Order: sequence, then structure tokens, then C-alpha cells
Amino acid sequence: MKRITSLVICLMLTTCIALSGVLAAPKVTLKALMEDIPENRIVEKLLPEFESKTGIQVKFEFVQYGDMHAKLITQFLSQNTEYDIVQVDNYWAGEFPAAGWLEPLTKYVKRDKFDLSPYIPSMLKMIGYYQGKLYMIPQYNYAMGMIYRTDLLQDPNLQKKFKETYKKPLELPNTVAEYVRLCEFMSKNAGVSGSAMQAGRGDPIVMEWTNYLYSCGGDYYDSKWRAIVNSPKAIAATKLYIDNVKKGAPTGALSYNLDDAYRVMSQGKAFSMISYHWMLPQLNDEANSKVAGKVALAPMPGGKGLNGGWGWGIAHNTQNKEEVWRFISWIESKEVVTRRAVMGGAPTRKDVFSDPAVIAKSPWYPMVQKIVENAKPVPEFTYSTEMIEVLGRELSLAASGDKSVEASLNQAAKELNELAKKAKLQK
Amino acid sequence: MIKKDDYSFNSLQKNEKLTGMLFIGPTILGLVAIILIPLLYSLVISFSDYNFIHPVISSFVGFQNFLKAFSDQYFWNSLWVTIEFVVVVVGLELLLGFMIAMLLNRDIKLKGLYYAILTIPMVMSPIAVSLIWKMLLHQELGIVNYVLSSFGIGSVNWLGSTHGTLLTLILVDIWHQISFMILVLLAGLVSLPLEPYQAAKIDGANALQILFKITIPLMKPVIATVVLIRTIMAFRTYDLVYIMTKGGPGVSTDVLSYFIYKKTFMSLDLAQASAISWVLLLLVLLVVFGLFRYLESEETA
Repeated sequence: MKRITSLVICLMLTTCIALSGVLAAPKVTLKALMEDIPENRIVEKLLPEFESKTGIQVKFEFVQYGDMHAKLITQFLSQNTEYDIVQVDNYWAGEFPAAGWLEPLTKYVKRDKFDLSPYIPSMLKMIGYYQGKLYMIPQYNYAMGMIYRTDLLQDPNLQKKFKETYKKPLELPNTVAEYVRLCEFMSKNAGVSGSAMQAGRGDPIVMEWTNYLYSCGGDYYDSKWRAIVNSPKAIAATKLYIDNVKKGAPTGALSYNLDDAYRVMSQGKAFSMISYHWMLPQLNDEANSKVAGKVALAPMPGGKGLNGGWGWGIAHNTQNKEEVWRFISWIESKEVVTRRAVMGGAPTRKDVFSDPAVIAKSPWYPMVQKIVENAKPVPEFTYSTEMIEVLGRELSLAASGDKSVEASLNQAAKELNELAKKAKLQK
Repeated sequence: MIKKDDYSFNSLQKNEKLTGMLFIGPTILGLVAIILIPLLYSLVISFSDYNFIHPVISSFVGFQNFLKAFSDQYFWNSLWVTIEFVVVVVGLELLLGFMIAMLLNRDIKLKGLYYAILTIPMVMSPIAVSLIWKMLLHQELGIVNYVLSSFGIGSVNWLGSTHGTLLTLILVDIWHQISFMILVLLAGLVSLPLEPYQAAKIDGANALQILFKITIPLMKPVIATVVLIRTIMAFRTYDLVYIMTKGGPGVSTDVLSYFIYKKTFMSLDLAQASAISWVLLLLVLLVVFGLFRYLESEETA
């Protein structure tokens, strides 16, 4: 008898527990690993709104860029991921889909009639599609351009001196060669470095160098995925780059990343920098910068800068795919993106770029749109990360003078060809 | 009777053995689970074609991963940079550490204060140390160059020159780790017997003779031990490079542990990375083995 009673009690208890689980509808929490930059802090501010609207909680974990790749990979390889929402840098836009780590988005987009047409084509190509299939929705862009000091460019003494030296008026450069010459001039005569360069080994030097490469008409690969980083154009671009490291940059530039370069610029110790356009509002913010009100943005001299951007994706191993899609389609809706842009975000949609409220807040955004439309990303394939590592090493060797430009670029081309073969892109 | 006694003694001994086994059992199991198995797994991987794009062992490739590493000029560069780093760091630290330990092993005021200051770097995380020094040594805006130039020395390119940057890392590592060296050496010095010193004084030996004929020979086991520990630690140095230089400029600070990190997380080639890790492990084991042999020969002598 006693045994039966205890059994009944047991059963009742289990039922109660099971029922309470069902009735109190499980609350979903989505997690994402985010780079710690202003753009993502803006997105974070909107999360409570999404939660009150849908009951889905979203949590961001902020880290430095350099730590993200390794952290994400270990999560992708495990049974169950810590991060449901994946913030994908365009470096990884080939690698992640190729490895099967992202959920294809085509079916969600079709089902919900999510409109892709407002996106700037260069963005969607870079951080949306991989081999014709949609894996990501563009979140924001970080195309690179030239940020320069207007006060130095308009300085009468410098203008006079420049005219005496070069028999030309002091104005914005139109080619890479002109830019390098201007930087050298500023270093000699303006009491500041010509260019706050980020020539540190790894992705800083590659990012900056790519602007020189593209603007000189060079590229990484040709249309058949044969490496052309040692073509005459690329060699010329690299020589100009190294010229600028030697004559126009601060002496420590070989160890600088974007933060170091930004600090030099914000302390008023440089005339210009080739950098991400989102640096501009920071540099014009009096609280953080000694040169507030004296900096402006222009396209990379030569016209073709490096495009970069982040997109939203769904982790292949999350249990909450629908919820993640709900989040993505909400945070990327025109209304929310416009608000993000008014708060200082960098949009990827044409309709947001041309929104009057956005332009009123950031009058330089038409310039950003122009830069983004012309910009080109690094090649995206399975081994983009390794490609950048290889180039980062060889460029750093060339810039430090340990190796000749030709020898470095030949070595880089050899390894880039091996990578293209390994990825089965080159026959 | 005797026989019985013998028997009970034996059983007691057996019991003790069993109890001992039971006590260390969990630890051994834990070590096997968290050290030996992953270690062996990485050895298996180093002979396979495992990578993160296809995270399965689809075939074994023999010594190919090792041969690939040996034919890579940058692997040899990293190996050389690592050895240079280890030898200079440990050598300089031993020299400086021994001198500071001798200075502290006297009747001086404020000893506690010195100890406190000495332990501060030791408890800091390597990442924090690297970040702090990266700021301090910033060529344009760092305080070190500011101070130097205010003395008229001019600013030094701490992290941006191929020849000097490894030395900069060595100095930062010494700053961070020397306290450990000093404290261990000091503990050794304090526990030295007094008689030889008294005898030496009576015999009229001078300070240098005392140092080379008494202190250093007596300290040999302590020195060997601390050198052993620091060598192992120095071989593993990674944080400094990761934060401060990323292996650059060029490949001048590309230590092997950072090289392995890149093979894993940038090239996604875990097989290759495991192979190089095993080369590093064998190298460290060789050094450890040599030092142990030396210690043993000292003991028997």
C-alpha cells in the first residue's frame, strides 16, 4: 500500500513539473558574439525593444575583432553552438558557407517576402551571397576612404610652399602616387606625419595596402583564380605603399593597427589616414579628438577603395533558427535600420542612405554611399583568412626592408595559388 | 610465530599500498582524461588529414605533416626565433635575478615592501601586461618615449623595427617573470647552511671567492630547477606576441607557439598544427631531460 501511495505521489509530481514547463512557454534566449565597436553598441541599445515585442531575449557578447574567428570556429564545430546569431565579417563570407557553418537564408527570404532590392549591390554581393546562394543579410559597411585634415590643406603657408616645390596648387590627390607625394610633403613641412598608417603585420597592413592595390588597378586574383599580386601594377602599388611607410608615416607604423593609427590622428599628429569611414564621426567628436571639426572624408585617391562589411547569419547548429531569422528580419527592417543610422550607424541600404533624417544627422553619408558603391572587397573563398595572413607576413617583410618587394610578392603569389588550388577554384 | 608476524606485516603493507592507490586514483584518472588522452589524440591527428573545413580523419598521411613543416622556411624561422627568445630571456633573467636575490638576502630595511613590489607583476595576467606595455611603448604617444625624449635621448622605435622588436618583447617578458626567478633563488639562498661561510671567513676568502666557490656551487640544484621551470614557460610564450606584435615586423617575433596558433585558426589546418606542436613538445622534453640528467648527476656527485 505504502509503495503504491508513493508511486502515485511521484507520478503526480512529474506531471505537475511537465505541465508547468509547457504552460510557462519556454523563453528563448539568443546569443551573439559581436565585435566591440560603436555600430554594435547601437544595435545593443535596441535589443530590449525586440524582447518586449517578441518575448525573445537577445544577448551580445562583446570581444575584440582578433578573438572572434577562433571563438566562432570552436562553436561551429561543437554539437550545439553558444552563438545562435552569427555576425559574419566579409573575410569569412566565403569560408563559413563553404564549411557549411551557416544556414542558407533563401527559404526564409522567399517565405516572408523579405525585400532584398534596397540593398546596395556591392554589399549584397560581398556579404550576402556565396556562390549564388544567400547566406547573410548585410548589417553595416566599413568601406575605406581617405580621412584628411582640412585645416592643413587650406593652410596658406603650406599652399605657398607646395606650389613652390611642385608648381601645382595644394589640393586633394587624384592618384595614389599624388597621395604619397602629398604625405611626404606634409611630413616634411607641416610638423605632422603625412599618413597615420596601420602597417602592423597581419590584417592591418593588408587592409590598408589593398586600397593602394585596387586604386593602382591591381588585384589579388584574375578571373581564373590565378594569383596576380606580383603583377607589375601590384608591384608598383606596393612600392608606393612602402614609400609612404618610409617617408610619410610615423616611425612606429610597422607595429600599428587601426586603433594605434586612430590615436595618432586624433591627437593631431597626422595629416591623413586611409581608414574606415566610421572613424570620421569619432574624429569629429570633441570629447575624443583634438582635431574635431577639422577632418573630412574623401574617396581613396585613385578611386577604388577596399569594401568591408558585416552581415547577419544563422548558425548551422543552433536550435532556434526561426527565432534568429525573426531577429534578423526585425533588425534589418527599413524602420529599424533608419533609426540605427540616425543613431550613427553605417547603413547598407540605398533607401536608408537617402533618408532625409539620416542625411540631416550625417551630412557626409552621400559621400559614404559613393565610396561603398565603388569599393571592392577582398576575394572571398574558403581560405580568405589564410590568404590575408600570407599577405600580411610578406608585406610586413617587404615594408620592414627584410625582403625585396618582388621577392615578397612572388612568395605571396606562390602561396595564394596553392590556396586557390586547395579550394578547388583554380584548375 | 615469526612467520605469522611476517604475514601480517605483509598484509599491512599491501593494505597501505591499496589505500595509496585509492587516494591517487582519481588524480591519475583525471590526468589521463585531461592530459594523456588529448595528447595522444593530437598525435593521431598529426599523422592524419584532419582540418576544420572537413573535421574528420579521412585518411592517414604518414609523416607528410612533419615533412611539410620541415620544408617551410617560416617554420625554421619560428623555431630559431623561439630558441633565441628562450635562451636570452632565461639567461638574462638568471643573471639579473641572481643579483637581485643576493641584494635582498641581507639585513636591509623595508624588505617586506620589496617583496610586495616584486610579486605584483607575477600576479598580473600576461594579456594585461602585454596591453599595458603596448600602450607604454607606443612610438608616438607612449609615456616611455616621452620620458626618454625629455631627457634628450630621443624616441625609440620599440615595436616597429625588425632588429629591436624581439629584444623589446624579451625585456617585457623579463619584467613580468623575473620576480618568480628572484623569489625562488632567494628561498634557496636563505636556506643555505652557514658553516661554509664561517669557515671561509676564517680562512680569509674574499667576496668573489665566496660567491664562486661556495654560493654558486651550493645553489646549483635550485638554479637548475628554476631554469627548468622558466625554460618551459618561455617556450610557451604566446600572449606577448599575440597582443604586441602579431609576429611582426616581418617575421622577427614569430615564435613557434604563435605560428601554431595561426596554423590552427587561420589556416584551419589542425593536422599540420598538431605536427608542429609535437615538434615543439619534443624540443621542450629534450631540454627538460638534459636538465634532469644534470640535476641527477649533481646529486650523486
